[in-house]
Amino acid sequence: MPKTCETMAALGRAVLEGDVAGAERWSQLALQLMIAPSQVIDNGLIPGLRHAGDLWEAGEYFLPELAGAAQAMKAAMKVIEPVLASDAQRIAAGRVVIGTVWGDIHDIGKSLVAVLLTANGFVVKDEGVNVPVDQFITRARELDADIICASALLTTTMAQQRELVLAVRQAGLRSKIMVGGAPVTADWAREIGADGQADNAVAAVAVAHKLMGHHHET
Amino acid sequence: MKLEQFTALLDHNRPFVLDGALGTMLIAQGLPSGYEPVRWNIEHPERVSSVHANYAASGSELVHANTFGGNRARLAASGIAHLIGQVNAAGIAIATSAVGGLCLVAGDIGPTGLLFPPAGTATIEELQDVFQEQTEILAASGADVLSVETMYDLREALAAIDAARKTDLPVLASMTFDVKRRGFFTMMGDSLLPSLLRLADSGAVAVGMNCSVTSDVMVRMVEEVVRQVPVPLAVQPNAGQPRVTATGIVYGAVADSFAEDIRRMTEAGARLVGGCCGSTPEFIQAIRVRFPKKDGAP
Repeated sequence: MPKTCETMAALGRAVLEGDVAGAERWSQLALQLMIAPSQVIDNGLIPGLRHAGDLWEAGEYFLPELAGAAQAMKAAMKVIEPVLASDAQRIAAGRVVIGTVWGDIHDIGKSLVAVLLTANGFVVKDEGVNVPVDQFITRARELDADIICASALLTTTMAQQRELVLAVRQAGLRSKIMVGGAPVTADWAREIGADGQADNAVAAVAVAHKLMGHHHET
Repeated sequence: MKLEQFTALLDHNRPFVLDGALGTMLIAQGLPSGYEPVRWNIEHPERVSSVHANYAASGSELVHANTFGGNRARLAASGIAHLIGQVNAAGIAIATSAVGGLCLVAGDIGPTGLLFPPAGTATIEELQDVFQEQTEILAASGADVLSVETMYDLREALAAIDAARKTDLPVLASMTFDVKRRGFFTMMGDSLLPSLLRLADSGAVAVGMNCSVTSDVMVRMVEEVVRQVPVPLAVQPNAGQPRVTATGIVYGAVADSFAEDIRRMTEAGARLVGGCCGSTPEFIQAIRVRFPKKDGAP
């Protein structure tokens, strides 16, 4: 039987290569080896996904490869999640409502953030794409969401993020708001009064943790 | 319009001037963010019409009707798939009456937003059906030519061209490429020259690049490929890169330097020239003064 580090490396490679069957197989094997689910995520899945992100940044990977990596990651998470849920060490890191804004049907970046947040212990409600502001508000209220994540991939739909911030404040929700998407910058986030912004999915998890930290302090 | 008639227009010893942006012009007139622009063909035809009329007056020889998002998949995302006949027919009618015979009207065909696996679940057949429905309506509504634009997946572009060619109208085809370390690629990883060659091979009368990059970058693209592309090359760069400001999205380019880059592209061999996001009739005018129409030319 392969060792822990070999299994983690193989799992990372399966994610990197968008190998869905491989990602499932290696995650199952990892669990059989009694590797803690959080370790499988941190040492197998996330490094693979991060590598895919690096190759994307470098112009070596394109959307299909990135989407393939996300799918392999999702498939592995399906294997791990039942065990993760029973992992005694796991405490829900926070409740998140996520979606792509109204008028925008870009799915991949948003889904990647949703998967990574789930992998990091957040309870995530993914509303999909083309989500009206009202729907974000309704769902956030239902779940008493700690964070609302809104993605916009078009310069023409970014303004929806501003609408969302205004509506959340007006509704008096306590939810923090994170914004992301290719054209979304830290300046834009500041400009519209969002609480957080991240340039990629891995960074989004760190920002979400940071926002939760602020919650605990208050 | 017959294919030979259109190729004859391109044979003139000067560039053929297209129009500039439509979407960002409509946004400037109050189109809300996220609102499907084709809806304005029904709700605000006079605003759409004024943009076309402005381009015609600025010297465009062809305007793109407001039908970019008029395919069933995009319309369904806005919950208005049932309006497909109406928005496309109105788009052509508005443009035709706005330009009053001054220039040609292209039925504009943009991407469906559906993605092939692993990014999505679309199939070639599905996309062919979606495009065929729109191209048939555009042709029946009186479009002079069909223009497939801003395609980021070569397979989708070819599906659109296939559907468009069944109408017997001349077909222009343009994809959108970005600068990567190893060259120019679409976001799906289709590289510049092989893509253009496939578009030409599939029967497009002119092929090219639009959107994504600024005019100075597009000069480099043209220089890299123009000698190897067997059909006329069309270029429609953005007017600078979008910047988000407190008042909205701003495109930074100045019309004069944009038109100077367009002149460099024509010197390199580009034949059809225009602008994409952020460009305005002022940009087309700046191009036009560099290439005055000859007497008797259409």
